[in-house]
Amino acid sequence: MKIEQYRIIEKSKFDDFINSLITFSKVVAPVYKGFKNYIFQEIKSAEQVSLKYIPTIIPPKKYFMPQRETILQFDVNNELKVEPIVEYENLVLFGVHTCDIAGIKCLNMVLSDKPKDTAYLIRKKHITIIGLECNDYCDEYASCSFVGAHIPTTGYDLMFTDLGDYFIVHIHSSKGTDIIEKTGIFKPAKDNNIEELRNLRAQKLKIFNNEVPTERRYLPDLFDRSFNASVWKELEQKCLSCGNCTAVCPTCYCFDIKDDVDLTLKVGERYRIWFSCQLDPFAKVAGGIDFRKERSARQRHRFYRKFRYHIDRYGMVFCTGCGRCSRTCMAKINLKEVLTSLIKESEAKIWRKWL
Amino acid sequence: MAKVVIKDSPYNVKRAKILDIKSLTEKEKLFKIVFEDRSWLDFEPGQFIMVSLAGIGEIPISVCSSPLNRHYFEICVRAVGKVTNSLHRLNVGDIIGVRGPYGNGFPIKMIEGHDLLIIAGGLGLAPLRSLILYAIDNRRDFGEIHMLLGCKTPKELLFVDEIEEWGRRMDLHFACTVDRADPDWKGNVGLITSLIPGVDIDPLRTYAAVVGPPIMYKFVIKELLAKGLPVDQILLSFERHMKCGMGKCGRCQIQNLYCCKDGPVFTFKEIMDMAEAL
Amino acid sequence: MSKPKVAFFDFACCEGCQLQVANIGELLIDVLDIIQVVEFREVMSEKWDGEFDVAFVEGSITDEHAVKRIKKIRERSKILVALGSCATIGGVNGMKNSFQLEEVGRYVYGEFYKFFPTIHTKAVHQVVKVDYFINGCPIYIPEFVTVLKSILQGIPYYVPEYPVCVECKLNENVCMYDRGLTCMGPVTKAGCNSWCINNGNICYGCRGLTINPNIEGFKEVLKNYKIPEDFLMKKIDMYNKCKELDKQ
Repeated sequence: MKIEQYRIIEKSKFDDFINSLITFSKVVAPVYKGFKNYIFQEIKSAEQVSLKYIPTIIPPKKYFMPQRETILQFDVNNELKVEPIVEYENLVLFGVHTCDIAGIKCLNMVLSDKPKDTAYLIRKKHITIIGLECNDYCDEYASCSFVGAHIPTTGYDLMFTDLGDYFIVHIHSSKGTDIIEKTGIFKPAKDNNIEELRNLRAQKLKIFNNEVPTERRYLPDLFDRSFNASVWKELEQKCLSCGNCTAVCPTCYCFDIKDDVDLTLKVGERYRIWFSCQLDPFAKVAGGIDFRKERSARQRHRFYRKFRYHIDRYGMVFCTGCGRCSRTCMAKINLKEVLTSLIKESEAKIWRKWL
Repeated sequence: MAKVVIKDSPYNVKRAKILDIKSLTEKEKLFKIVFEDRSWLDFEPGQFIMVSLAGIGEIPISVCSSPLNRHYFEICVRAVGKVTNSLHRLNVGDIIGVRGPYGNGFPIKMIEGHDLLIIAGGLGLAPLRSLILYAIDNRRDFGEIHMLLGCKTPKELLFVDEIEEWGRRMDLHFACTVDRADPDWKGNVGLITSLIPGVDIDPLRTYAAVVGPPIMYKFVIKELLAKGLPVDQILLSFERHMKCGMGKCGRCQIQNLYCCKDGPVFTFKEIMDMAEAL
Repeated sequence: MSKPKVAFFDFACCEGCQLQVANIGELLIDVLDIIQVVEFREVMSEKWDGEFDVAFVEGSITDEHAVKRIKKIRERSKILVALGSCATIGGVNGMKNSFQLEEVGRYVYGEFYKFFPTIHTKAVHQVVKVDYFINGCPIYIPEFVTVLKSILQGIPYYVPEYPVCVECKLNENVCMYDRGLTCMGPVTKAGCNSWCINNGNICYGCRGLTINPNIEGFKEVLKNYKIPEDFLMKKIDMYNKCKELDKQ
């Protein structure tokens, strides 16, 4: 920890910081919506911000890859005129948990893979990420320790850590420095502040324990053995195919592309809109054949996208442990439970081989 | 919210003009297309392009002309959905949007020097026509070439004139069958699989290129394996509903493979253990 | 090019969907730029005796007169659109099909019920061919406009084959089940952009069951929330009773 990269801000000054931030940028932060639900939305004053919050309904991916996004505009009045476009704005995301930062890293990986998604990259460049470290679990659904997303590493411009009376802030980029300078509220960190941060991280190691009875490095093997596991069949009965799990997932990015015209039928746009492997039309082809017809196969596909396929392709686990999918599932399909059942079933298989 | 034009967007389409339209059957039309800027669509047989009609939509279609033809390219379109039906209503001179080519086509460099067995069911002849034309243009680079064609009824036979010509060629072994004959039909009757046992091939020297309706693959592969073809010499092209063509949208994923990026042509070896592939 | 001639008709319904069209607001001018409304009893007194390019039909078919009338409309229309739940899925009128026709007649008309012959409620497509479906009770205007544009472009309109939850999540609404309410979103056809939930109401399932709904799974969900199964079945029957006729 390089002390020169750290600043501190007393909690009594926190509101001043947010209110100052608002004067020069659009700021988005977690806001309480009632019934234990939070969402990221634009704030107009510091008191709207929920510093203690469980993951929002939709992760901040909506700012990087909006639910509905115009990709082309066209005009066929005289002859076909097409213009690919991007819509973006300068935005500060405040209070992003480390799980959601991990999610953004996953999206970066996919959308900067060739051919690069130009619009995504432009939008990303205009967003500043201010993280907020979790000192404790948000609730019982989280599995951030399992995927290693519980400690800040990279992927943010500033990282706020709550140390009682004050926040210690890690500056990770020049974008971060700009904010520190512009708001002018922060003080340099002293040795004792760094010491307290070290202590907190040590304390966190005791609080955050692997939530799943296996290790990340065993995931490829586990999933290679589990394609025909009985767990998937159980999900066939349970899953409603509502697509909630994928919509709220910070690393789900599948989409559909559609056209829309205005009432003249001559001018319009092509847009992409979030789509889900859990839904009926997703894997259907023109002749009506559905290559993933069963709900069990669709759920299995979701889990393999998180824990297997993308490890080969991008070298990353595509689960951030945020727990949103389990929290939102009305049928109570729980990610940790599914993984645990897979492990049990797989172990039993290995034992049978030996006996 | 700022809005800017990004010419380098991967979703940008090139304007292309329809040079000619030919009805092949009741449901299929052949479109001859050229980019307005006269640039060449540099593709491999088996690759696909995204064809779009502004305001209606965009769909993946495989190119069916010879990759060596630098003057124009062709697509064969069956009217089944929103975009394809709208394409059928277009006229010569109309402008469409095209991006691509995408995907991995047939591994021509691997096939060259070997015998080639082409098995086309129905509209599967479209992407294979590109390979056939390439092989005919470069005839000396290939060994024996066998072609097996099948479709439901004689009325649904595509590229009839060309098929007649292929049938007359000395350097092609050609057989054709229909599921149901009509009174004028003089050829074979039966499923395409029934032609396979009779083909005289050296299985170890032969690459089979198979394209047809999803239902066809299992049965054809079974016959080819019985014939002794190695699993990595059976080439299949898959149909999926690609939306982006760039391995992003997820629509065409077969386990860890993206049909649009890793395919649409796969060897049987790549997908033989994969549920959801066939 | 002359504008397509469009007419609106109603059968057994509350005419609420036509009212939605009449209340289309700002869009009205643009819409009237591209179509010519030749018959629409709710807003004009003119009638049209020729052919219709597009006929919008609201309401379900509930007696023999209606059967004859809808067949005539079909003959006169190039394109026929079922407008609203009553027309597309039978809607609330379908609840009649839970009872014996005689019982229903007696309940409504008393001892003279025989003078008012009736048949089982049918959705429009159960009597004549329907080209486009606009679901909802009432219809959702943005979807109506989308369908209208599709008609004029000569392309089909596909009703989304997934549940309302999909659109609701994209709108980032707090789930009604988190609020302790029962919502039909998980098993109801999308396409309304979760209109009701966006405005603080639950989904009543007015667009009808989604294709391939997991009813058994949904019953389990309701058990978790301690909602009686019977309550759900009644809610489904409220709009979906006519679906049984599709299976026959």
